[in-house]
Amino acid sequence: MSVGFQYPTRRAFLCGSGAFAAIPFRSFASSPPRRVACLEWTAAAMVMSLGLAPIAVGDLKGYTQWVDQPTLPDTTLDLGSRGEPSLELLEEVDPDLIIATYGYGLVAGDFERFAPTYGLPLYAEKTAPYQQARRETQRLSERLGREREAETLLLRTERTIDQSRMQLADHKATPLCLFTFFDDRHLRIYGTGSLLQDVMDRLDLRNAWNGETSEWGISTVGVEQLATVGDARLVCLEPIMPHAVRMMRRSSLWQNLPAVRAHPITTIPTLWPFGGLDVAARFASLLADKLVSV
Amino acid sequence: MFAILALPALAALCLLLTAFRLAELLPLNLWWGAVIAPDVTDVGQLLFHHSALPRVAISIVAGAALGLAGTIFQQTLRNPLAEPATVGTAAGANLALGTAAILAPFLLETGRELVAIGGGALATAAVILIAWRRHLSPVSLVLAGLVVSLVCGSASALLVVLDREYMTELFIWQTGSLIQNGTAVVTDLSVKLLIGFALATSLIRPMRILELDDESTRSLGSSPAVLRLAGLIVAVWLSAAVVAAVGVIGFVGLAAPHIAGMLGARTFARRMVVASASGALLLWFTDQLVQVLPLPEEVPTGTATALIGAPLLLVLLPRMRAVMPMQGGSDVASPRHVIRWWMPFAALAATAATIALSLFFARGVDGWHWASGAELATFLPLRLPRALVALSAGAILAISGTLIQRMTGNPMASPEVLGISSGAAIGVTLLFLIGIELDRTNMILAATAGALLTLGAIVMMAERTFFSPDHILLAGISLSAMGTGLAALVLASGDPRIDFLLAWLSGSTYRATPGDALTAGCVLLVILAGSPLMTRWLEILPLGQATSIALGIPLKTVRLYILIAAGLSAAVATVFVGPLSFVGLIAPRAADYLGYHRPLPQLFVSAFLGGVTMAVADWLGRTIIFPWQVPVGLLIALIGGPFFLWQVASRR
Repeated sequence: MSVGFQYPTRRAFLCGSGAFAAIPFRSFASSPPRRVACLEWTAAAMVMSLGLAPIAVGDLKGYTQWVDQPTLPDTTLDLGSRGEPSLELLEEVDPDLIIATYGYGLVAGDFERFAPTYGLPLYAEKTAPYQQARRETQRLSERLGREREAETLLLRTERTIDQSRMQLADHKATPLCLFTFFDDRHLRIYGTGSLLQDVMDRLDLRNAWNGETSEWGISTVGVEQLATVGDARLVCLEPIMPHAVRMMRRSSLWQNLPAVRAHPITTIPTLWPFGGLDVAARFASLLADKLVSV
Repeated sequence: MFAILALPALAALCLLLTAFRLAELLPLNLWWGAVIAPDVTDVGQLLFHHSALPRVAISIVAGAALGLAGTIFQQTLRNPLAEPATVGTAAGANLALGTAAILAPFLLETGRELVAIGGGALATAAVILIAWRRHLSPVSLVLAGLVVSLVCGSASALLVVLDREYMTELFIWQTGSLIQNGTAVVTDLSVKLLIGFALATSLIRPMRILELDDESTRSLGSSPAVLRLAGLIVAVWLSAAVVAAVGVIGFVGLAAPHIAGMLGARTFARRMVVASASGALLLWFTDQLVQVLPLPEEVPTGTATALIGAPLLLVLLPRMRAVMPMQGGSDVASPRHVIRWWMPFAALAATAATIALSLFFARGVDGWHWASGAELATFLPLRLPRALVALSAGAILAISGTLIQRMTGNPMASPEVLGISSGAAIGVTLLFLIGIELDRTNMILAATAGALLTLGAIVMMAERTFFSPDHILLAGISLSAMGTGLAALVLASGDPRIDFLLAWLSGSTYRATPGDALTAGCVLLVILAGSPLMTRWLEILPLGQATSIALGIPLKTVRLYILIAAGLSAAVATVFVGPLSFVGLIAPRAADYLGYHRPLPQLFVSAFLGGVTMAVADWLGRTIIFPWQVPVGLLIALIGGPFFLWQVASRR
């Protein structure tokens, strides 16, 4: 009776239970993170563009106001402000991965107790943001196990930009000047070092603004600086506040700017100028559509 | 002789600078044509007529308006330190504009000026009401102005926390930019300046009557209150018009009337004219300077006036006469409390209950609930350091405030008012400007260095003025102006990193670690144990300088010791909870209001009140708009500011 069955030795038992315990661990280590929390918008948009919906995002309302697309699902949780994402909520939602741009007040070490962290150092230096976005997308896709999606995104972005370039073949003569209104007297102009400038280069479009830019590729200037861009076409990113609209109707300076006299103002719907490849593609196609329809 | 030539000389310098810059834009022979009938298809002429000239004109007109407003303020309030920024007009107008930008942007299309005037008038009225009880004494007026400005600033910052959409716009107003895009604004402001001048001229006689005291004014058949009101209306209207046109520009309204005085303008009529002229020249000169200086990015003119004006005030301060009569700091009207044996235990129990509440009761994904034992194990590491840091920092600031109030004999003094918190803020902001990575260690180092340097500067300056309390307070006020200017400069830059700076500036315990809690707790214990050693000094100092010397107190040494103790502890607390808190101002007042007038009871009661208030505010800040957080500093300022105003206004 007792021949067929052997009690396991203690060592065998320990090994077995160890192996059993290791199963979930190994599956955890090899399976890519599913529950991703993004502390700021660039990361959230990039994760979305790889086909994964982050479970929680910092400043959700701001995302809809300033980033808009890719649209986050309604189930996404708001983590609170981007400067101070709620730690208690992070504890509760229990993510597999926390993505953020660390180093500007947020320290990766503060979040390691909740989940592994992943740093997205976008546009920290002033070199070729588009290339950087490509590199970062690939690196992120490896971490998320979504290399295929990244490959598609890369190709799709290239294709969109190529298509837009062809669409714009007849519109390359006029240089552009790209800006957002701060109020009715000040603008943020995008120049060297910004993603949007890189996309314009790829579209063979010329940026009329060649002034000094910050490390983020932007410069804050007064409206009168638009006189220096000559008869370039003005391209304004939304949102445009009511008193800026009023200024454009009333201001004697604005009305007589060479650029304003030369062309009507082109507006581009809200997009996040500090975003990744999806922003690059969206900007290219929006710009092409708008310029062609003029 | 020399004095008479000063203004024309400055005017000539401004003209030269302006001509030099304009010549770069357009050749000299085309100027006349560009002024009379510009050919707008020519970029040079377009910019000359619609941007460069309006900017020169607005700097002159706005400067003149501020100089005139400052003169009227100083005359009506009989106060050498009154000006649009110090009496709260500018901050009130700015808050009103910010609120309108976020809640009702359509108002800014047409009603911008009405909004600004409404806000400015309300804030000024609050300041004057508070200072009224103290007979509008210069220091109390300026302090009330500072408190009201800080409350308005906190409210603006809270708007930003809740809705960031128009944040940059809000900060651009605060920095006062003179950039123009047409001739409309300057034409409009010029008309207002002329009307203001006409009104002021009609007030010349009544204003001269105000130079007498109230009794004599009444015996001449005039009501001082009505005269003052008339003057104030003109001044508030002028300053609000400037804020609506170009934003907040500090110090011009303060400096211009003093320059007029130095140039020998004695009568109100003459001062009015000379101050307007010197205000115009000051702003014109500053505006040319920021455009000529080879800076990487143009500094907004309003920031420049604050950055230049604040150190100037610091340098000039020791030469000014002490302006404040000595006053006792205690609220003798309220009943005196008896200390009983159980009180310390009750205080400890209340503190423990507060901490327990903030640890157990909170909001999560599913709403409010009490944490169970297991949950507590998860959340304790997140909540305990914050609660303890808030408690300790609150108590430290309260003690520091008590020390400073007792030392200066002024119930409106505090570490925030003294400029120590501003020093810490300046340190962190500079770090940001230089571009060093803003991690915890760097921030703590910068904040401590800033606070200690400020303390050093204050001690040095105080030494020259024999530690006269009002000089110290005024130095603090100019430092706060500088801190605000610098912070606004960074916040208006549109840099994507400003969220993090903003979080610290608005006073948050978010980043508190167990190590911080331990440090703050130790500092609290040290200062709690050490302050009883100063009891005798603290008892005697509020009685006044003469009494203190008569009682054998080595005034200078004692004030130095107290200043260092109060300053160091405030620096530590500021590092942990940011520069913006009113605890140091309010807690000692509250203790006094409850009847604890003697130094030691006041110290301990105010430490208890400060700590518990801060802990409760931190808990509220964490939970009321979960998962968003209201920084504890903002919350305290918004609750405590009005309490303080009410408390001061209701005192006899």
